[in-house]
Amino acid sequence: MSDTPLFKVTIDNISIEVPAGTTILNAARIIGGDVAPPAMCYYSKLDGSGGKCRTCLVEVSKGSEKDPRPMPKLVASCRTTVMDGMEVKNITSPKVVDARASIVEFLLLNHPLDCPICDQAGECHLQDLSYEHGKDGTRYEFQRRTFKKHDLGKYIQLHMTRCILCYRCVFAADQLSNKRVHGILDRGDHSEIATFIEKNLDNNFIGNVIDVCPVGALTDKTFRFKNRVWFLKPMDAHRDCPNCSGKVTLWNRGDEVYRVTARKDQWGEVEEWICNDCRFEKKKTTDWIIEGPRLIDRHSVISQGHYAGNIGLTMPTETFSAVHHGRQPKLLMDIHSVSEVNQTDIDLSSINGPAHSNNFNSNKD
Amino acid sequence: MGRKLLLEKAHVEGIRYFDVYRREGGYRSVEKALKTMTQDEIVEEVKKSGLRGRGGAGFPAGMKWGFIAKPEGVPRHLVCNADESEPGTFKDRYLMEFIPHLLIEGLIVASYALGSHDTYIYIRGEYAWIPDILEQAIAEAKANGFLGKNILGTGFDCEIYVHRGAGAYICGEETALIESLEGKRGNPRIKPPFPAIKGAWGRPTVVNNVETLAAVVPIINEGGEEFAKIGVGKSTGTKLISACGNINKPGVYEIDMTISVEEFIYSDEYCGGIPNGKRLKACIPGGSSVPILPANLLLKTAKGETRYMNYESLSDGGFATGSMMGSGGFIVLDEDQCVVRNTYSLARFYRHESCGQCSPCREGTGWMEKVLLRLEKGEGKISDIDLLWDIQSKIEGNTICPLGDAASWPVAAAIRHFRDEFEWHVTHAAEAQTRNYGLAHYADAIHVPV
Repeated sequence: MSDTPLFKVTIDNISIEVPAGTTILNAARIIGGDVAPPAMCYYSKLDGSGGKCRTCLVEVSKGSEKDPRPMPKLVASCRTTVMDGMEVKNITSPKVVDARASIVEFLLLNHPLDCPICDQAGECHLQDLSYEHGKDGTRYEFQRRTFKKHDLGKYIQLHMTRCILCYRCVFAADQLSNKRVHGILDRGDHSEIATFIEKNLDNNFIGNVIDVCPVGALTDKTFRFKNRVWFLKPMDAHRDCPNCSGKVTLWNRGDEVYRVTARKDQWGEVEEWICNDCRFEKKKTTDWIIEGPRLIDRHSVISQGHYAGNIGLTMPTETFSAVHHGRQPKLLMDIHSVSEVNQTDIDLSSINGPAHSNNFNSNKD
Repeated sequence: MGRKLLLEKAHVEGIRYFDVYRREGGYRSVEKALKTMTQDEIVEEVKKSGLRGRGGAGFPAGMKWGFIAKPEGVPRHLVCNADESEPGTFKDRYLMEFIPHLLIEGLIVASYALGSHDTYIYIRGEYAWIPDILEQAIAEAKANGFLGKNILGTGFDCEIYVHRGAGAYICGEETALIESLEGKRGNPRIKPPFPAIKGAWGRPTVVNNVETLAAVVPIINEGGEEFAKIGVGKSTGTKLISACGNINKPGVYEIDMTISVEEFIYSDEYCGGIPNGKRLKACIPGGSSVPILPANLLLKTAKGETRYMNYESLSDGGFATGSMMGSGGFIVLDEDQCVVRNTYSLARFYRHESCGQCSPCREGTGWMEKVLLRLEKGEGKISDIDLLWDIQSKIEGNTICPLGDAASWPVAAAIRHFRDEFEWHVTHAAEAQTRNYGLAHYADAIHVPV
């Protein structure tokens, strides 16, 4: 809009002009890269979200051109709007780095760290956050809080023990469904996401709470324990859906569709909400028109070596025969069992080159 | 004896009822304000008086009133914060219980000044019997034409509603109070926007403490300048102090902020000294969330000057050697009290009362409680003390609302001033279970370097 004045804001010494009313976090996201603070509870598509997890704290070293005083405390960048001439320090401020590391520690304090059995592992924002901003080890020596599992109906599993209370699912349910049936019960570190009392979540768009959950607290019952996300190939696909846009990401292995999620942008946020039919009921490739592979931008486990290009993967330049001095490779595929190899009268070191089944079988003749 | 403005008539027989209160000169300020003063004049008068918010933060009340937005066609609200849940503070209860009409009178004047036609009293759930007293007072005021439509024929309408809370400390935080008043979960809102711009139901709202609103009555009756003459410096008027702990005469006292802390504790007019001939060890001068001070720093500042019962003097020296006036919950600890146990008990309170919205407070308060319990039970390690210090420093200032600060300050101050007692709990674990650390040097005179 032309009538909104542009404010100049400097984040980590990078200046940018953004319309008045933009938050510091969104200005930093426009710059991108490491300048963008992490956000566990803020979700740009959900009104009122943010301000709770405190991972996006930044230091405002200069309030504005008019009032250059620095802000006395670190501020939540997701809920603080920029002022003209504001100077913000994110990763350049030791105070912020220190505070953020402690927030990660706080968030992990009561988190079960059951990543090996958690369906969210690999695309978990808390994993990413702890790798990028946390310290190794914990100083917590007490029992972690646990909850009994709540049954939320046939599609969604709530695993409250893993929850970091970001309130995203509450906002999502509030804003997507006409009658929210789940919310926060209790208070403090014993507060929990729950329905009152033991109701099903059955709104047609309620499946989106799984996508907005930054951790593995809300998981897809049709996908639970079926596969690890990094083994699956994300494919963009669409269908003609009467309820939603029908634009989704399919997570395939071979021809089998393991799960369907909404498409997520580079900040892990859903681009368009999808309905329960698309998410839970259409698990055949024939239901969908496949557009092509989905690029996963985030530096999480699922993107390693798959589609994101050269992240951590370098191709060797030498050819195989150059390394092997001209000898042809032999295939080892026709060794059928360990016992065939494990024969005392064959000295493996005396065999020239890689062993082949012929080396073993010749003795039996 | 200092001057009393609020509690002067508190013990007149039947002052709880309208007739007696009116006979004793009550509701004069309503007549004066509504008939002879404009809204801006009242705000100006309160600004002149220098009245500071009595809820704990000490923010100038007149300035707060000046901030309220006045968009056309949008109703404004005044909310009285009677959710007095701070451990050690019970001054508002006393005021509402004994002289409820004083609060109603102050509320009518303040409602007129702010243009609030629907005014609320948010009272904590534990004060189960007080809403009845207040509602009776409201009904009496209404029957006599001081509330309702067209008050005293001036054309100003005002209704006061009493809203009972459900027993959460956090609802004393003004934005959480507003959320709770709206019928939602009492989670503090993220500021800005401040309530003066967008408060209850998105309308401009002012939230004031009971005592602040009661103090409006003498300000209107006698004028802001007269009010400002009482007290000293920026601590004007009188202050209610609720004293408790190891003292001979616990109770609510109205002081004019010129007396010294020593006089307040030991004079027979106030606390009456410490029972059983014990000595003073420490004191929390302003309600559980302000830093605890050892006896020597309580009676004298680090510079060796006498410490007085007012905002400036109590916070002299910052948090390193000072404390805060807070909400006036004066808790005295004698030499038999254990600081570690006391700190644990406070930490337990804050863990229980944290709303659980933001992570540092939700997780940090629970962690502090567990570490303190371990220390108290004699199972702690020396490194726990540094751990506690680190946890509290990571909570403070990183939370949405001041509950995080309130939870970390007592722990920080206890370690700052009583570190040797914490260490003794680790090194003499078995002994600590049966015997108190005692006074050590806490009551020694301060050596002031020349």
